[in-house]
Amino acid sequence: MTKSKAYIGFITPGFILYTLFMIVPLGFAIYYSFFSWSGMGAMEFIGLDNFKRIFFEPRMSGIFRNALGNNLRYMAIAIFVFIPIQVLMAYLIHLQIRGHKMFRLMIFLPYVISPSIVGFFTLLVFDPNIGMLNNLFISLGLPQLVSAWFGSPNIAFYLLVAVIGWNGIGVGMVIILANMKNIPEDVVEASIIDGASTWQRFWRIELPFLQPSIVNVVVLSSIFALTQFDIPFIVGGLNGGINGKLDFLNLMFFRYTFGDAYFGETALGFGAAISVVVFSIIFVIALLQKLVFNRVFNRR
Amino acid sequence: MYKKRQGIGSWIATILLTLYCLIAIVLIGNMVISSFKTKQDLLFNTFGFPTKISFENYRQVLVKDTLYKNFFNSIILTTLSIASLIFFSSMTAYGLSRYRFKGRQALEMYFLLGLMFPIQIAILPLFIIMRTLKLTNTFLGMIILYTANMSFSLFIFTQFFKELPAALHESAVIDGASEVTIFLRIMVPISKPVIFTVMTVSFVQIWNDFYLPLVFLAKRSLHTLTLAIYQYLANFLAYWNYVFAAATLSLIPVIIVFVVFSDQIISGLASGSIKE
Repeated sequence: MTKSKAYIGFITPGFILYTLFMIVPLGFAIYYSFFSWSGMGAMEFIGLDNFKRIFFEPRMSGIFRNALGNNLRYMAIAIFVFIPIQVLMAYLIHLQIRGHKMFRLMIFLPYVISPSIVGFFTLLVFDPNIGMLNNLFISLGLPQLVSAWFGSPNIAFYLLVAVIGWNGIGVGMVIILANMKNIPEDVVEASIIDGASTWQRFWRIELPFLQPSIVNVVVLSSIFALTQFDIPFIVGGLNGGINGKLDFLNLMFFRYTFGDAYFGETALGFGAAISVVVFSIIFVIALLQKLVFNRVFNRR
Repeated sequence: MYKKRQGIGSWIATILLTLYCLIAIVLIGNMVISSFKTKQDLLFNTFGFPTKISFENYRQVLVKDTLYKNFFNSIILTTLSIASLIFFSSMTAYGLSRYRFKGRQALEMYFLLGLMFPIQIAILPLFIIMRTLKLTNTFLGMIILYTANMSFSLFIFTQFFKELPAALHESAVIDGASEVTIFLRIMVPISKPVIFTVMTVSFVQIWNDFYLPLVFLAKRSLHTLTLAIYQYLANFLAYWNYVFAAATLSLIPVIIVFVVFSDQIISGLASGSIKE
């Protein structure tokens, strides 16, 4: 590294852009959350009233808890179902099973498909009348399997999670796969000579080496889970589907912030308060995860 | 290092993964095939091959619905945003990783905050800032936002620059080159692989972005392809034969980029995420 003042010139333009359009808005979100404001006209300072409304006003707190619950449920599925699948897929590719090169590409492929097209595919597969699934079941002579899919409140949420998972599962998979290349060969070979089974080798020797990538995928997936918007919005609509089964915090935020276009009711201060809550939840969860991981992995 | 698995377990894994991969193949294949069907054909022969290949859907969406404009918008916006993002993020990363100064590490952490807090959280104040600066409904505003959202590419550039030998810089200084010359003539040319990686990853992300165009490009004439497809979906039952053609058209560029550059995209995403 060099000692020269030239770094100021290199950093300043990026610093200004990044600060003004990424960091300043975050600060302002906190500021606005203490006001009642429709976006035009005067702002009225109302202290913590927006937050009280989110947490305690019966109707609003119900909507909030439902949306937060969906975000957290999605996060739990991402961590406890998707990540084990991602590790397994990466491991199979790492072991070079037949077709591993093609699998790496094809599992990743849905990630490059835009959310609008994913929404279109969802309609094509799950539409009760023209959808592929119902038509397939009818032509196979299995009419008892025909379902309303997204029209059925009990399964709509899980279908949505599956669609989002299909779209993005490749990213975590390739992150973990890249980490597998760092497992030292001699250690693995020694364990094979010592007669360790594939199962033992994976749990005792290889998995501990994957700690950095798994920690990262857990944190990235959690942030992704807490900020869900695109696919729920396209598939379930801004109101969060039947009985709010497909509602998420970001949809709720969007409804109240840009409400004028949709509800004739704009509450920018209230919207800001919701985003501050989302922001705090992300912060707390990321921090907790770091703490938990430090504990768990340092004990090994 | 591992001998190739030949056991029964490996066969089961191969079959299961093949079935999983078939989902994408069937969906994309069906979309492309259906885009050549007439509406009649779609109604009575929904999942078969077209009885007669028709380009009517493409003519309708491209010419009558002027989807070519949305296509053009997406190309302009994506290209300019990537160019601007690479310019600013490589410069900033260079300043952060090749110079020694007080508070360097804190500043680096500051630039990485964007990885933890997605732009959506701050979208409301951002909207107000953009409105005040008269940047809503402009491509310039969108380019600025995609550039400001630089944490990921900055991280990839920083890692690359940090590993370059110090001698590279020292010998250039002895030859009397200025700092700007060193950056442009020495550093940029050897960063070609990283620039390429950032280009391909950002292409996929910006081309497919839904949220920022939805918020900031309300004007119909500025809609990107992703928004245009969304508009079609809103009237799905009336126009579903057109959606196939429109969606196929919007998928072609990403699929080409993916087929040609999949290694860069995959390794870029992976390397940008493994710290430590």
